[in-house]
Amino acid sequence: MIDDSDTPFVLEAKGLRCRLGEGSARFELRVDSLGLHAGTVLVILGPNGAGKSTLLRALAGLEKTAERSAIVGAGGPVTLVFQRPAAFSGSVAHNVGAALLGKGISAFDRRRRITAALARFDIERLADHDARTLSGGEMRRLALARAFVLEPQVLLLDEPFDDLDAEGQRQLSLDLQRAIAETGVAVAMVTHDLRRALLLADRIAVLSQGELVQHGTRDGVLMRPNSLAIARTVGMTNVATGQVLRREGDVAWIEIEDGFEIPTCAIVRPGDRVWVGIRPEHLKIDVGRGDGQPIGKAEVDHLVSDGLATVVSLRARDRLFTTHLLSGRGLARRLRTGDRVSLAVDPAHVHAVAIDDERATNAPA
Amino acid sequence: MSNVDVETIVEITLRTLGVCIPALLIAASIGIPLGIALGTRRFAGRGLLVSTVNAGMGAPPVVVGLVSATLLWRSGALGSFELMYTQAAMILAQVLIAVPLIIGITLAAVGALDEEWSLQVKTLGISRTWRLWLLIREIRMGLLASLIAALGGILSEVGAVQMVGGNIAGETRVLTTAIMMHTSMGEFEIAHGLGAVLIGLTLIVAGLLTAIQQSGRLR
Amino acid sequence: MREASPFQFRPGIGAIGVFAMLWLGLTLAVSLMPSSAVAGSQRSVLLATTTSVRDSGLLEALLPDFTQQTEINVRVIAVGTGAALRMGREGNADLLLTHAPTAEQALVDDGVARRRTPFMENHFVIAGPADDPAGIAATTTPEAALQAIAAAKARWVSRADDSGTHKREVALWKAAGLSPEAEWSGFVRTGSGMGLALQVAGEKRAYILSDIGTYLAFAKRIDLEILSRPSDSLRNVYSLIQLEESKFEHPLKTDEAEALEAYFLSAGTLERIGVFGRDRYGRALFTPIPTTHRATSAAVGVE
Repeated sequence: MIDDSDTPFVLEAKGLRCRLGEGSARFELRVDSLGLHAGTVLVILGPNGAGKSTLLRALAGLEKTAERSAIVGAGGPVTLVFQRPAAFSGSVAHNVGAALLGKGISAFDRRRRITAALARFDIERLADHDARTLSGGEMRRLALARAFVLEPQVLLLDEPFDDLDAEGQRQLSLDLQRAIAETGVAVAMVTHDLRRALLLADRIAVLSQGELVQHGTRDGVLMRPNSLAIARTVGMTNVATGQVLRREGDVAWIEIEDGFEIPTCAIVRPGDRVWVGIRPEHLKIDVGRGDGQPIGKAEVDHLVSDGLATVVSLRARDRLFTTHLLSGRGLARRLRTGDRVSLAVDPAHVHAVAIDDERATNAPA
Repeated sequence: MSNVDVETIVEITLRTLGVCIPALLIAASIGIPLGIALGTRRFAGRGLLVSTVNAGMGAPPVVVGLVSATLLWRSGALGSFELMYTQAAMILAQVLIAVPLIIGITLAAVGALDEEWSLQVKTLGISRTWRLWLLIREIRMGLLASLIAALGGILSEVGAVQMVGGNIAGETRVLTTAIMMHTSMGEFEIAHGLGAVLIGLTLIVAGLLTAIQQSGRLR
Repeated sequence: MREASPFQFRPGIGAIGVFAMLWLGLTLAVSLMPSSAVAGSQRSVLLATTTSVRDSGLLEALLPDFTQQTEINVRVIAVGTGAALRMGREGNADLLLTHAPTAEQALVDDGVARRRTPFMENHFVIAGPADDPAGIAATTTPEAALQAIAAAKARWVSRADDSGTHKREVALWKAAGLSPEAEWSGFVRTGSGMGLALQVAGEKRAYILSDIGTYLAFAKRIDLEILSRPSDSLRNVYSLIQLEESKFEHPLKTDEAEALEAYFLSAGTLERIGVFGRDRYGRALFTPIPTTHRATSAAVGVE
């Protein structure tokens, strides 16, 4: 993917090859080009076993890489926070301060930096507690404080929100965002929590079986995944295969198997076999307000609400579509299972890729 | 009845300490670094070394004493050093007995740290010397345990120190060998008295080390 | 690609070395305590003897004067008879004081010992329960006593450790026409020192052969009486063995050993040996052998 950002990389992987394991457990990480910019958050997505944690560790310099692999940094500190952060025996303040040992920092400066780091993550009151007595959430905050006290140039986070409840995640995410904004650190984060990822990401990289299959800006990857597999990984849940019927000016019409006709602005030729993808938030329930082109009718199968958003599953013949509604607002309150509704979508939000070559034919993100 | 007065008992007790404490310190200065080195590196032949350490831990002290005596006698390979029946010989034998024990327990303490701990330390960019300090902080309870175990073994050891020390009055007689001698002579009262002193020593040492352990926890 | 060590850091050798130095320094400081760790500059001589000799307390009574007169420190190593003689054979001691005439003579015959000088003696005793179930008090010789014990299959405790006392016991069994390997219930072999064997005999109310010194030391504790009469075959002769330095590849303290031997054989010392034990046991433990009788004593050997 072409990167058109003009800020320089603070950490870049070039031709990265990393082999792990033996025999049937062999695994190879293959990342040809991946870079991190100051002040941005790169979220690394992929199914289990894709090599996300391995990539982070390789970026941290912890994995033995093959020759001709290069991880080039700008020279500043690179630090990695593990999925299960380990506490050193001693107080919380000692744990945070451990990172500053032997670096020629005066005692006064140490204390100042430790206090500042603890304050960033709201654990100043725990400074003298034994680190072993911390709860899971407090331990995560300690690990982040310990990472930030180093004033790192690059921060690598492995599942930073694991094991936290919704409120804990929200709060930590806010504190983390503030810390990133204040320090301008470049962040690469692995998380399986897609929603949290989408809230924080500036850029996204997708790994599959050790290979970097797509990376680019947040919207670019979310809206225009290169393959069905990547589409699923980035939460584009409404996918189908079909054939391009005709083009009318900028818009091409695609018929998917069961008679739905879907308009798209993607560049596909009549007669192409394609797969089509629509993000749930772009699939609209037509209430006559002109929210895009109607594409067909469906029946409400079930609704699930987490208080913030309502996920509506819609059945049309044998196919299930998903859309999101704001909970508590009009439509979400009125819909019931069994209601028949009309679906509509803006062609600009419909992604289509010709099946013969799984390469996006859209303009670059 | 033997001529054993308070002065003699004090002299024997001081000598016991003068043999056991240097032996412990020397064994620790050899065993702890070796245990840490062995525990933090992987190399060909490591398994063999670990097995040797385990074998050494189980070696009967009296056999160590016999082997040491065979070397130190005038007729032995190290005879010209004239170390037989000296305190130095006793310290040597005690060190040989204690070192595998200390290496073994230190090794176990290092092994108990999981991999993530050490990776974490490395990713914080901490220098080598400070990593060592942090490691020792983490395993200090294990180290203490190894020292207590070794000291207990050293204080109560009787076979090896008898063989290489000879229980010479005023020179190499320590509490354990004196107890054996007085028992063999039927002087049980004296033996009991010396035994009480020996138990007292053990309790004091154990108490001191436990106190250190407790204060460490509260810090 | 070499497999990465799972333990991602290796404390530098330098750091380990620093710690080792600190410890060693501390250790050396502690070791330089008053009592000397290695043999000091004072003249010394290594005397190897048996545990029963040590247990009698005789040496503690005699040696201080020697050290005062000559400024030679006597280092006494008390081990089993076999070990003492072996130390002599290998030149690991300077002077031997043992009581196993035949084995001692072998050292002289082999040239390892320069000479053997018997200088004091006492008698072994057969002790047993006061009620004397085998009736050995009526016998006049130890051989007859053993025959009575075997006939009655009375309880008997043997040290069975190849010590001087045990060697004499074996010789007596043979002289009595009996096998030392006899097995009857009641014949106990302890493989131990004299004190322990006496205690076992006391507990089991058994007969036992003992040296007089250890018996007297334990007499109050155990309920056994001396039932044998002094006899030639119970004679227990103590000798000084002077080693032949030229036989060994390493030097011996021959001058000091000669001085110590001369001290033991001096009239004053022999006199004190003759009264040793009286204040404690009411009888002397040893009888000095006058010079004139040493030649005949040297030839004696029941073993």
